[in-house]
Amino acid sequence: MNELHVDGLTKSYGSEEPVLRGLELTVPPGALAAVLGPSGCGKTTFLRIVAGFLHADAGTVRLGDRILGGPGVHLPPERRRIGIVPQEGALFPHLSVARNVAFGLTGVERTERRRRTEEMLDLVGLAGYGDRMPHELSGGQQQRIALARALAPRPQLVLLDEPFNALDSALRAGVRSDVRAALRATGATAVLVTHDQQEALSTADLVAVVRDGRVAQCDTPQDLYRRPANPWIADFVGDAVLLPGTVDGDGTALTALGPVPLATPPNGLRAGTVVLRPEQLRLIDAGSEGVVRGTVTDVCYYGHDAMVTVAVEGHDTPVGIRVAGPLPVCRGDEAGVRVVGEAGLHP
Amino acid sequence: MAALFALLPLGYLAVRALERGPGFAWDVVAEERTLALLGRSLGLTVVVVAACLVLGVSLAWLTARTALPGARVWSILATLPLAVPSYVAAFAWLSAEPDLAGFAGAALALTLVSFPYVHLPVAAVLRGIDPAQEEAARSLGHGPLRTFAKVTLPQLRPAAAGGALLVALYVLSDFGAVSLMRYDTFTRAIHTSYRASFDRTPAAALSVVLVVMTIALVAAEARTRGRAGHARTGTGTARPAVPAALGRWRPLAVLWCGAVTAVAVAFPLGTLGYWLAVGSSATWDLGGLTETAWVTFGIAAAGAGLTTVLALPVGVIATRHRGRGTRLLEQAAYAGHALPGITVALALVFFAVRYAYPLYQQLPLLVGAYAVLFLPVAVAATRAAVLQAPPVLEDVARSLGRRPWQVLREITVPLAAPGVAAGAALTFVVCMKELPATLLLRPTGMDTLATRLWTETGAGSFAAAAPYAAALILLAAVPSYLLGRHRT
Amino acid sequence: MRRPSVRRMTALVAAGLLLPALAACGSDDNNSGGEDSGSSLVIYSGRNEKLVKPLLDKLEKAVGTEVEVRYGDSAELAAQILEEGDRTKAGLFFSQDAGALGALSKEGMLQKLPQGTLDEVDEAYRGSGGDWVGLSGRVRVIAYNPDKVGEDEVPDSVFDVVEPEWKGKVGFAPTNASFQAFVTGMRVLKGDDATRTWLEDLKANGAKTYAHNLATLDAVESGEVSLGLVNHYYWYERVAEKGEDKVDSKLHFLPGKDPGALINVAGAGILKDSGQSATAQKAVDYLLSKEAQTYFADNTKEYPLAAGVTSTVEGLPPFESLESPDIDLGKLESLQETLAMLQDIGLV
Repeated sequence: MNELHVDGLTKSYGSEEPVLRGLELTVPPGALAAVLGPSGCGKTTFLRIVAGFLHADAGTVRLGDRILGGPGVHLPPERRRIGIVPQEGALFPHLSVARNVAFGLTGVERTERRRRTEEMLDLVGLAGYGDRMPHELSGGQQQRIALARALAPRPQLVLLDEPFNALDSALRAGVRSDVRAALRATGATAVLVTHDQQEALSTADLVAVVRDGRVAQCDTPQDLYRRPANPWIADFVGDAVLLPGTVDGDGTALTALGPVPLATPPNGLRAGTVVLRPEQLRLIDAGSEGVVRGTVTDVCYYGHDAMVTVAVEGHDTPVGIRVAGPLPVCRGDEAGVRVVGEAGLHP
Repeated sequence: MAALFALLPLGYLAVRALERGPGFAWDVVAEERTLALLGRSLGLTVVVVAACLVLGVSLAWLTARTALPGARVWSILATLPLAVPSYVAAFAWLSAEPDLAGFAGAALALTLVSFPYVHLPVAAVLRGIDPAQEEAARSLGHGPLRTFAKVTLPQLRPAAAGGALLVALYVLSDFGAVSLMRYDTFTRAIHTSYRASFDRTPAAALSVVLVVMTIALVAAEARTRGRAGHARTGTGTARPAVPAALGRWRPLAVLWCGAVTAVAVAFPLGTLGYWLAVGSSATWDLGGLTETAWVTFGIAAAGAGLTTVLALPVGVIATRHRGRGTRLLEQAAYAGHALPGITVALALVFFAVRYAYPLYQQLPLLVGAYAVLFLPVAVAATRAAVLQAPPVLEDVARSLGRRPWQVLREITVPLAAPGVAAGAALTFVVCMKELPATLLLRPTGMDTLATRLWTETGAGSFAAAAPYAAALILLAAVPSYLLGRHRT
Repeated sequence: MRRPSVRRMTALVAAGLLLPALAACGSDDNNSGGEDSGSSLVIYSGRNEKLVKPLLDKLEKAVGTEVEVRYGDSAELAAQILEEGDRTKAGLFFSQDAGALGALSKEGMLQKLPQGTLDEVDEAYRGSGGDWVGLSGRVRVIAYNPDKVGEDEVPDSVFDVVEPEWKGKVGFAPTNASFQAFVTGMRVLKGDDATRTWLEDLKANGAKTYAHNLATLDAVESGEVSLGLVNHYYWYERVAEKGEDKVDSKLHFLPGKDPGALINVAGAGILKDSGQSATAQKAVDYLLSKEAQTYFADNTKEYPLAAGVTSTVEGLPPFESLESPDIDLGKLESLQETLAMLQDIGLV
């Protein structure tokens, strides 16, 4: 019922290059979708069109069975029943927390309004903060109030515009899961706009990668990570090792790291780019037989794992290898590299 | 619609200036003397604007952001000079020091009555600035002075430039001070044309030159303003600022405020007292004074109310939707302020007699005249204030089911309220002292403090005039006082 | 914190919109417009309210209808009437000087007055088109400080004040309309070149300029200057206010039709299109009546021009004794050139 369906969205500002070029996206009811893209890809324009602040040049925006915008139709923002959570919360500084939350509850009886306000404050874990003024709250609290404010009028869709950007990383994870829980609890369909791939993968049910004004791929986080549609997406979503390779019989590609089994048949492709994830590479003893050798150029230690960069013969750029557990090497060491699992092949 | 209203005088000028063909109008304008007068007007404008910026910004910072003793009283006092009619200030200075006549005297008198145009909006913005930015600058190793110059001043630029523009337009349109100080300016040429030859055509042609100058000034101001977006980019919602300690500068700061208010407020009031003491024409008609004050208060409040209501959409549009059309609209709104009051008044006579005869010489038309004359005062204040309200808040309100006008009422106006209210207070004060348009458009028999003052001084009864002038200045304290009260 | 400001502002605005309505109710001026002829008369008065209000109150009784008076500056009121055109609200224009009346006459906005009315005053003091009459006259004089100058030393011609002996001792008000009318008169009488020379000499002789006639008179009394070029009635008003012994100046009336003895008049004209001609005519008749002329003589210390009234102000020379120059007041309209000349020379 609250399915968001965006079709053929096109937008350009003045005579400049179009920002959106036929963007398509469907978000099923109750799902939290992330629109992920580098800055300048058009994701903010997309959000403002869906919210009704901008007119698209072409294309339609449908929510459930209502057409919000399309040829000859433009529902003003106030009639779309779409809640927005902007960057940095953007609470009304002249209104108390409770009045911020109750702002969208017009035409609601006073006791019901108070009940709903309290319910929302409770939902975001800030019960009892109603009388505070926004400037008396921390950044994370302001962000959660902004969500409560957006959810209070029971919107059919919630748009979150990089809402965790301004929070420090320690707070971010907590607020992120709170927001997800609150959205789940209300069953609202939601779209999160972000440039942070980790945030998108960890928060959303569905991630749409936008590049140059189009959706390049829309999948579940796992499918997106494991089966990126092209090398650019692979590189943008998580770390990737991209190697040129030639097909050697069905199911195997020859690369600088040796023969790699392919996840899907090459479909007649003779050569292309082989995509691997750093965790598919293993460091082994350089003296082992038949191993691809290289030199360790850098080591980044993260605690739970580490990223070791190795320059191998026959490939210009060093490859990244994710190593869990104790570190067996340091910079300058000779190391051997082995591939585990299957890889994707792209033209 | 507000702009259309403001454009009435321009329409009138076009009709009158071209009455005898563009050739005649051009001959009037192209005269060598016209150019010389233009130069004199501009010279005076530059000096007064510079002086007003120094006075206005320094007082605004001291009263709004420092632990100045009695900051609130100073901030109210700093508004009062605006209520001193320029001719009263000029007269006071002349009677104290006749040698002041000329450029110096005109510049002095005009600076002292118009610096609140800068002071009020700048003080309003200073109260709204997020102190986090200044703190950030301090933490980056900038001293307080550098912080003020590098972080605070740039944010004051829209408000200060807006104020400076008003001062410039005021100076251009002023007749009272320059005529008493015998400093010949462009406006005097316009008045002379009415008085000496009873000829409206050259006056209108000269007024068109003023309009052109206004447009140039407004454009220049828009350029100074640059691409100033909303003031805050920091995280979350701003905290109110903690007043800066003055330390050993404290006596000096007090002295500065004291000196400015002494020459701008106490001196003219003192002169009025002197008139009362030495003159024999003093008649204490307290009933008449009270009634006149009451009428003045009501009509100035109505003028301020209407002007503010008209200015709000113009100010909002001017900040939120930049474009050629809106810039034109804004420039149009400023036209009224640069024209001599007599020209605007005659324009309204022209239109009212033809198209709104029942309103002619009735209160609504007079209130409308105030709106035309002082729209820029309110627009400048509104614009500066709206600029500080982040537009994203308006988007959020829309998404929560508010229509555009509801957003204006519930979000934009409350957020901009301190600035808008300051604009309303300014407008109130200048409406009170307005004379030329009031004389021509008031209902027959109605008197304001300004017209009484004019009548009494015209008859040479300075002692009888003094109470009206004093009432004018004291009444101006009312809105400033109200504005100041809720800020503490 | 910030919340009250909204309410306060709303209240302020509401008050602003309501108050004038209340004020209007309070001050019972139901201005019903000028169309209903005969029922009321609207006078645009360029003469100061303080000077003429008592007279116009009496006029209201004499005319027998409601009279509304709009006070303003003569020139500005003339401009207003010109803008109003045939829908003017003014039935009668009561002007401080002849120039403003001349401007309305030139545009054909004034109604020709009956010969009987015109004949009340000397031909010199009425419009050449017969559409306005002078009501009272004022004469240019030289005020002097008797402590500085003996009565017989005071020059008998304005041309003498540019002599070296008066260097830095003469005061005048170059922006004053009467002074400018006098300069215009000098131009008409003596030509532009002579006038320009005189003005230049005056400036070169260190004559001091003041904002208006009263300030000039003050300067004479304080001894700042010895001579002042002023209108006669300022001095008589001051004498009436303070008593002659407290006024430290005296007046010298110039003989020999000197341009410095110019007489200018205040006058009135009836607006053709106001529909108030009948009552306006009654008003003009009243202003020329003995009662009104006596008022000018006694209260404004001017010279009455009609009804055979002579001023009884003590010390004022009889009107007939004034040796003022013969000049058509209508010609004083060429004020524009006078101003250009004053500006050129740098006196204004």
